[in-house]
Amino acid sequence: MAEPVIEAKGLGIKFATNRRRKRSLREMFIHGTKRDPNRGAADFWALRNVSFTVTKGECVGIVGKNGTGKSTLLKLIAGVLIPDEGTVTVRGKVAPLLELRAGFNDQLTGRENVHLVGSLHGMSPETIQERFDEIIDFAEIKPRFIDTPVRHYSSGMKVRLGFALISQLEHPIMLVDEVLAVGDKSFRNKCYDAIERMLQNQRTMVLVSHNEGDLKRFCDRGLYIRNGELVLDTDIKGALDAYNADTKAEIAERKKKDDGKAA
Amino acid sequence: MASRTLAVWQNRKIVGHLVRRDLKVKYQNSILGYAWSMLEPLAMACVYYFVFGVVFAATGGARQAPGGPDAPGGYALFLLSGLLPWMWFSAALNDAPKALITHSKLITTMKVPREIFPLAIVQTKFVEYLLTWPVLLVFVFALGGQTGWNFFWIIPAVAVQLVLSLGVTLLLSSINVLLRDVERIVRILNRVLFYGTPVIYPMFRVMEVEALPDWFKALYAHNPLAGIFQMHHAVWYASEAPPASVLWATVGGSILVLLIGYVTFRRLESAVLKEL
Repeated sequence: MAEPVIEAKGLGIKFATNRRRKRSLREMFIHGTKRDPNRGAADFWALRNVSFTVTKGECVGIVGKNGTGKSTLLKLIAGVLIPDEGTVTVRGKVAPLLELRAGFNDQLTGRENVHLVGSLHGMSPETIQERFDEIIDFAEIKPRFIDTPVRHYSSGMKVRLGFALISQLEHPIMLVDEVLAVGDKSFRNKCYDAIERMLQNQRTMVLVSHNEGDLKRFCDRGLYIRNGELVLDTDIKGALDAYNADTKAEIAERKKKDDGKAA
Repeated sequence: MASRTLAVWQNRKIVGHLVRRDLKVKYQNSILGYAWSMLEPLAMACVYYFVFGVVFAATGGARQAPGGPDAPGGYALFLLSGLLPWMWFSAALNDAPKALITHSKLITTMKVPREIFPLAIVQTKFVEYLLTWPVLLVFVFALGGQTGWNFFWIIPAVAVQLVLSLGVTLLLSSINVLLRDVERIVRILNRVLFYGTPVIYPMFRVMEVEALPDWFKALYAHNPLAGIFQMHHAVWYASEAPPASVLWATVGGSILVLLIGYVTFRRLESAVLKEL
């Protein structure tokens, strides 16, 4: 079997609730490993004991309620958060479709921003030059606006430009965080087509979404995350079914409680 | 550490892009552009010249250039040779706390060695400093400044200053994410260090004051910045060359600051990423 592209082993990350972040400073200066007894209480594990592997060409959907650590997981894979426990190994370059406006500087024009952000993501100046028209065309930005500072753009324009640019990256791994929810209907359709095109050539994708249609359309495998733990790793339908069953149970529970209150 | 240094080196292009972007943003929205980076130190030089070169000189407290008022270049050149590198250090110090915060969007979406953001700040300010050199040279010729072999003091001066500013920037940028107080401290520090370092007055003046206790003088002379600015002055005034003890203090101190800054940066990295 081929080496997995993404490999997570016992992944865990905790966040400090309230003002505990000061502790990290204190720990650093006083004693790195000294622990006090009530330390664990205020820490909150956003993810714990998450292990899975993704092989090349797979498209994995992550489902779960809000605040259960889906985006945190993506960030750990992207390497922009450092896990407190376990390891995550990623073999290959990552195209992060996490925050599409990231890196745009409001003072610079659209053209300058495309060059800047493109090169920050590792595109060569020649590639950017070559694909520039394609990017602008895809983003539906009128040529007369491309030399306007980005601060005058509408938020839709910025997101479209961001997607158009990042979708040009040829990195083998794509991380997508609900960006499909942006833009109007016609742009969304274009995004779908672009993603489908990217998924050819054996590219790997990890997608976080609440949209069942999107998930079913692109993914063949689903990870269901509940309260920071990976409870199910199966095909996308199985994951969605489990998620929906849990949601239903929760709604029923709430109703019962409300009824109890009313009575 | 070696592998991280390598990673930073591999990402040097990104540093270049950040530097170019910062310079572009800074200069394109103003009509005078490049002139601004010169007007500020020149205006400051005029003020200090008026206060210390004219007013105090007339009342007997002259802060003249080493070698007396007749020395080549005079106090005006002495001021400029200290103020221009000071602008570099002080601008880097000012921007250091914000190095990571202003790029939080980029840092939380893109995997790059986080060290490149402080590095980009130091480099941007260094480029701005280099851009002040043509104007400095104009003044050198106009005021009749003289140099010789002592011109080569500029190499260690710039090298040590790069090391020190990088260390300070790494240290402050990471701590400030967790404790925003750093921004306030830096503003005060900027003032204190300006007068606590021989930037606008020669170091020997302090050493000659008899009222000052010896421990204070020792502390003063071994501030890493003192040695750096003595070297900057020594480029035009050979008599200002720092003695060996000051030289070692500045080299050793700067390397120590870089090490402390780097270790702090690495140890806080995980917490900083969560906070951004």
